[in-house]
Amino acid sequence: MTKRFDLKKFLLNYLVLVAIVLLVIITIIVEPKFLSGDNLTNIMRQFGPLSFVSLGMTFVIIGGFIDLSVGGLISLVAVVTVSLIDPLGQLNALIVGVLFGAFLGFLNSMVLISCGALTQAEALFITYGMSAVYSAVALIYTGGSTQHMSWLTTPQTIFTAIGSGTVGIFSVSFIIFLVCLLLLWIFHNKTYSGRSISYTGGNKVAAELSGIPIKRSVILIYTICGLMSAVGSIVLFSRITTAAPIIGKNYETNAILSVVVGGTTLKGGKGSVLRTVLGVLLITLMSNCMNLLGVSAYMQVVLKGAILVLAIWLDNRKEQ
Amino acid sequence: MQTSILSFGKRTLRALTRQKAVIAIIAMLILMLFFKTNFYTSYNLLNVLKDAAVNEIIAFGVTLTVIAAGCDLSVGGVMCLSGITAIQMMNGGMSMWLAITLSILIGALIGFINGFFVVQQRTEAFIITLGMGMLLKGVCQQLTDAHPVSCTNMEFMKIANGKIGGVIPNLAVIMIVFGVLVYALLRYTSFGRNLYAIGGDYEVAKYSGINVVTTKWIAFVLSGAMTAIAGVLLSSKLNTGSSIYGDDTALMVNCGVVVGGTSFAGGVGGIPESFIGLMVLQLLTNCMNMLGIAPYLQQVAQGVVIVGIIWLDCFGRKRKREDV
Repeated sequence: MTKRFDLKKFLLNYLVLVAIVLLVIITIIVEPKFLSGDNLTNIMRQFGPLSFVSLGMTFVIIGGFIDLSVGGLISLVAVVTVSLIDPLGQLNALIVGVLFGAFLGFLNSMVLISCGALTQAEALFITYGMSAVYSAVALIYTGGSTQHMSWLTTPQTIFTAIGSGTVGIFSVSFIIFLVCLLLLWIFHNKTYSGRSISYTGGNKVAAELSGIPIKRSVILIYTICGLMSAVGSIVLFSRITTAAPIIGKNYETNAILSVVVGGTTLKGGKGSVLRTVLGVLLITLMSNCMNLLGVSAYMQVVLKGAILVLAIWLDNRKEQ
Repeated sequence: MQTSILSFGKRTLRALTRQKAVIAIIAMLILMLFFKTNFYTSYNLLNVLKDAAVNEIIAFGVTLTVIAAGCDLSVGGVMCLSGITAIQMMNGGMSMWLAITLSILIGALIGFINGFFVVQQRTEAFIITLGMGMLLKGVCQQLTDAHPVSCTNMEFMKIANGKIGGVIPNLAVIMIVFGVLVYALLRYTSFGRNLYAIGGDYEVAKYSGINVVTTKWIAFVLSGAMTAIAGVLLSSKLNTGSSIYGDDTALMVNCGVVVGGTSFAGGVGGIPESFIGLMVLQLLTNCMNMLGIAPYLQQVAQGVVIVGIIWLDCFGRKRKREDV
């Protein structure tokens, strides 16, 4: 009796892992090409942009907020960075792009703090409005046209390396991801600021009364989210070598879904960047496996949606 | 009788002045006086109502779920799906009203499923309906192969594009009828009053003997059905069903509801508030079109207005908190 109960609990707790393993086993049986080196490198590349954005989004959700502005932010950072490569040189453009993303995130937090928005719903709509502004500014900045990196005269070796370079079987973007993951994990678990983000998400009133600097937490989570989205944006346009002003569309929902599927609760307070990695992995693997199995693009959206709804539902059952 | 009318008037007036959205509308109306445009023509003003109708009807349904402290972000997908199914069934030879009824039932069924997850299983409404919307988009693409489908039955087009007496657009009338119906439902039935109680405090409502699960569940079913009606009307207006409709609808409508003053915390708000909230967004678009502002700038302005109104709202609440 007890043994069966434990198994159930284990399954519910590590549902994402179980799903990933099942998915991989089924795909290997049907299509052995899954394990080829090319495909693994391919998965690591597809893993790219969404994983960075999701890492940033994890902190926002742990802090009990939500950020819908990342879609617009990614578009804006992408077009600005590409346009700066010629006048500033590639390294400076890269640095300015990342800092610009962090600044936009900071701007979000400033809008939220200035009106004292403390609930997820308020943050939801304010960042939605900010997203409309960012993506419109991206459209105005480029006049609505796509920027191609092949039009630039300056060399773009750094961006080419980020987009398509490999070290062994690891893609460069994956290595950058591992570094970011490590840094953010240390920040979240080993520093005072990182821990106070969790406390802020757990119960804002209690955190404030206990002397946790809530405002600093809000600034931190949105700035980190902006920063990581900017990195994701750079990885994204380096990979496809064009920056369209609508490049970031749908990234906000995908990022939120992968964070939640990974097991970070939307109520805030609980969660970790490592869980998010599992969530992103599940979503990326799902795309890859369905492509290998020849599932039609439309059916993929249906299946993805169905699995996500199922995952969220089961995750919720675990808590009760 | 007279006192009830008076108190109704007073209540309406208070509801109006409390809202930043009303101030925004008045500001826009005054601003338009200074420009020589066709804004103040009956044709244009009726057109505003006609254009707003689809989103307004969705918002009436969504308001029910928001009052019960939920929200419905699947409306974009439902709207898309109902239009497509109605047209495909009609093109398959089904009679018009049967096809429309079935499409609305499909919408209600999706609302029922949303309700199952949110109310019965107590999942976070926001994320589960977002996932559901995504799933439905995929279903729409699968059904139509991502091509727009147009209706061969010309009667269908007349539902939304007809005009009563050759002047008032049908859509505006349908919107007002639904608005009044849902307003009455919220105001004068025990179902409506219970929804407010549930939104105010779920546990208290439960211990007061309200059947919380059923009531909130019905709110989601109604939201799905109303969205399906709006979807059918949209397809009738354009005589086309397409899987690309409604990408923005879910957030836009929920945003409009909140801009109007219906709180996401639940228990506050109503149909007049939601009507005004969405009207702000619609009027803004219309004014900017009249003034010939470039579309990208329009998007900036829309974002700024949304942020601005919600910012003011939060700021007001913060000041109130600090006063206490």
